[in-house]
Amino acid sequence: MQADLKWLDDPQTFRVNQLPAHSDHRYYRTVAEMQAHQSSFVQSLDGTWQFAFAQTPQERPVGFEQPDADHQNFGEIQVPGHIELAGYGQLHYTNTLYPWEGKLYRRPAYALGDTTGMPGMFSEGSDNTVGAYLKTFTLNPELRDHRVVIQFDGVEEAMYLWLNGHFVGYAEDSFSQSEFDLTPYLQAGENLLAVEVFKRSTAAFLEDQDFFRFSGIFRSVRLVAQPAVHLNDLTIRANVLDDLTTGDFNLGLSLNDDAAQSGAQLKVTLCAGEQVVLDQTVPAQAETAIQHVPVPNVHLWDHHDPYLYRLQIEVLDASGRLLEVVPYDVGFRRVELKDKVMLLNGHRLILNGVNRHEWDAKRGRSVTLADMQYDLQVFKQHHINAVRTCHYPDQIAWYYLCDRNGIYMMAENNLETHGTWQKMGAVEPSYNVPGSLPQWQGAVLDRARSNYQTFKNHPAILFWSLGNESYAGDDIAAMDQYYHDHDEGRLTHYEGVCRNRVYADQISDMESMMYDPPKAIRDYLDHDPQKPFVNCEYMHDMGNSLGGMNSYTDLIDQYPMYQGGFIWDYIDQALWVNDEVTGQPVLRYGGDFDDRHSDYEFSGDGLLFADRTPKPALQEVSYYYGKYDR
Amino acid sequence: MANTTAKLHVVYGDGTLGLHGEGFQYIFSYDRGGLESLKRNGKEWLYRVPKPTFWRATTDNDRGNHFSERSAMWLGADLFSPCTHIEVAVNGQDITLPIATENNRYSDHETAETVTIRFTYTTTTVPATTVVVSYTVDATGAIRVHTHFTGQPGLPELPALGLRFVMPTAAQGFTYHGLSGETYPDRMAGGQLGDYQVTGLPVTPYMVPQECGMHMATEHVTVTRAITLNNADPDTEPFSLTFTQADQPFNFSCLPYTAEELENATHIEELPPLRRTVLTVFGAVRGVGGIDSWGADVEAKYHLPADRDYDFEFVIAGTQG
Repeated sequence: MQADLKWLDDPQTFRVNQLPAHSDHRYYRTVAEMQAHQSSFVQSLDGTWQFAFAQTPQERPVGFEQPDADHQNFGEIQVPGHIELAGYGQLHYTNTLYPWEGKLYRRPAYALGDTTGMPGMFSEGSDNTVGAYLKTFTLNPELRDHRVVIQFDGVEEAMYLWLNGHFVGYAEDSFSQSEFDLTPYLQAGENLLAVEVFKRSTAAFLEDQDFFRFSGIFRSVRLVAQPAVHLNDLTIRANVLDDLTTGDFNLGLSLNDDAAQSGAQLKVTLCAGEQVVLDQTVPAQAETAIQHVPVPNVHLWDHHDPYLYRLQIEVLDASGRLLEVVPYDVGFRRVELKDKVMLLNGHRLILNGVNRHEWDAKRGRSVTLADMQYDLQVFKQHHINAVRTCHYPDQIAWYYLCDRNGIYMMAENNLETHGTWQKMGAVEPSYNVPGSLPQWQGAVLDRARSNYQTFKNHPAILFWSLGNESYAGDDIAAMDQYYHDHDEGRLTHYEGVCRNRVYADQISDMESMMYDPPKAIRDYLDHDPQKPFVNCEYMHDMGNSLGGMNSYTDLIDQYPMYQGGFIWDYIDQALWVNDEVTGQPVLRYGGDFDDRHSDYEFSGDGLLFADRTPKPALQEVSYYYGKYDR
Repeated sequence: MANTTAKLHVVYGDGTLGLHGEGFQYIFSYDRGGLESLKRNGKEWLYRVPKPTFWRATTDNDRGNHFSERSAMWLGADLFSPCTHIEVAVNGQDITLPIATENNRYSDHETAETVTIRFTYTTTTVPATTVVVSYTVDATGAIRVHTHFTGQPGLPELPALGLRFVMPTAAQGFTYHGLSGETYPDRMAGGQLGDYQVTGLPVTPYMVPQECGMHMATEHVTVTRAITLNNADPDTEPFSLTFTQADQPFNFSCLPYTAEELENATHIEELPPLRRTVLTVFGAVRGVGGIDSWGADVEAKYHLPADRDYDFEFVIAGTQG
């Protein structure tokens, strides 16, 4: 198969030769490796890559992926990182209006009765910058003679991949992991990996989040080898019976297709500290399930006591030799909707939450583990118990950290199409995507699927969120259905259905609003509400703000169906640059890069300044969230 | 321990009224329309006469709900409201304004228990209203400052109401007894009462400079400076001045800039070099709001309607502090 530039224009082409999304578990060769969190199956490709930049697809270095191509003109770039922060391409902040506003006239393919599919819209887009990346690697000895896959944790916004000149695959969805099998193209010694990253594709219509518009390989890249018998996927269901004292443990395991012929076995243990709850050995099959293991006097997981059981799965070959060992932390908790109130472990849930964009004033959305750890300290210090991953999946490490720190997650998939239905403040969905367009449903369902399949085992996730501000139609209803079909243990969330109430019964288990004044919330709760109420975004903390928070928290005492919400938002989006006048480092925001159209200082609505120092308002959040920290 | 025998010395000048005592020397200017010199132990505390203040640098929420547009009149009033009337009282009795030639009947050794001087400012708004600032000085050098705003129907809501003191040099910092952090009427629940020390004159680094640094419900604040503009005073020993509550706690901010200077900047680095101290005592503070930043108003109970009177009072502590 050959790479085709037209995929950029086709909303129905969003993954080519990608491996299906699966659980984000890690695996190790030995128990010692597991304890050291260092897997010899893994080879990081982070670091310096060769790089060439082109302003348009037509100017890109065609054929650069071939080992014998001329790479004289290639410079260097750091991976992970944004192209625009590496000295190529203009920084741009815009909120709702698409980045091509006023420059190019675009309407989504198949919207407004279009039957052409709009060929050339992005493949010939004069604003579609291209980054050509090259990386040479030699497999570590530990990875040789194995099946080897490559994992891209985040590439914005569309990527083509080659190995040693052979086309491997194509991916969209900037914020989900993209995985490809490299095995057929690997060679002994040096290998040449080539990635072509386009800033725009049909995915641009689906990624209109209120943020700086970056491109490039902005999250880690790694090679991962797999042993002959390998656990591809696991599904943990750590349920709690309605007595709230008995755990009900279920496990689904998927191995490679030929696992059954290998004579291999799986040794599954579940421990609470030193106490062994489950110790079972089963023959390896392509699909194996361990169901309904009762756990009496189960130690429940919640914000105040995020207790985790230790699941360990050892894959042993026919002779009993360890092939791989997979650890996973398991939290038993029960999320349910009872008498129209959301309960966690039988108690009414109160969300003292924040919306958190991944942001680092030096690195943009390419955040570090240190950023995440710092953020959790802030959460803990100020009684923040919940986070909405606005409006895309975050780095995988964040979910593990939330498990361990008892942070309730509203796990949002990567979707925002604000610019297709809200114009100049008016609701105007004439060319809304995905809407009910069949040609766009595959792409958004894929985003829901990636989000679910990757993160399904994290106890921290209480809600799946279908995305943000994308209006409502059949396609988003199908996303809601997908989550419910696959997960009985969590609730769905979507605010945008309030713009098209026809879908109220099909979309979102909760009534969610953004920026409703307290009075409007009272009106809802006073008039026979059908769903519990959540503020997915409230207390807009732009500049010197966050006044009158008690008008919201008072509702907690007055209405059982009011369940709190998520402050907008956690951190200002601004970037460190050197002042063109003084040479001193200064923080700059939207519009400061000659970027137009811009929404300027609207990029800063955080509880923290962009450098992560707290705004004065944080002490108020701390007070009220502390007051309702139950 | 107050020296009960001390007298307040009064100098009935041709353009000013001087009030002196042990360790203090105050000069009220008739043509400048206010307290022109507040000298303590030889150190000057005023750069220009204190003036009523009505403006606050537009917050993002103010911009979003068009508050500054509706109340723009108060920006002019903040900058330009003239002093239109002055009255003096000695020991509680009003006297004829002691300017030439009326003051020819006084001597070089006039004293009083207390002297009050009242400055009336007429706002440049349409319709106009008045603010009366009264300074009552006693022999200890304590100045009781009372401000009265006369409500006037037909005026837009006030962005702020206070009395602004611009000091000649930037302070080293200030200490206060009040609430932690920065507080506003609708954002003070998290503030904890205590003694706090602030180093320097921090401007809260909002991306767009705006109203900041408010401290509600304050018992007293002490500003400390180390340098003066006096060319004959090379001394850099720190010296302080304390503002304290009268009967009720007061609100204040202590920044290096006026509301207008903050208003003009789109980034913090555009603000001028740190040069002065701007201490403002606020008699009324508008809330900051927080529902959204593109239209939602501050909750009604935190507005400052201009059709009602406001009174506030505080004391600049005397030398026996």
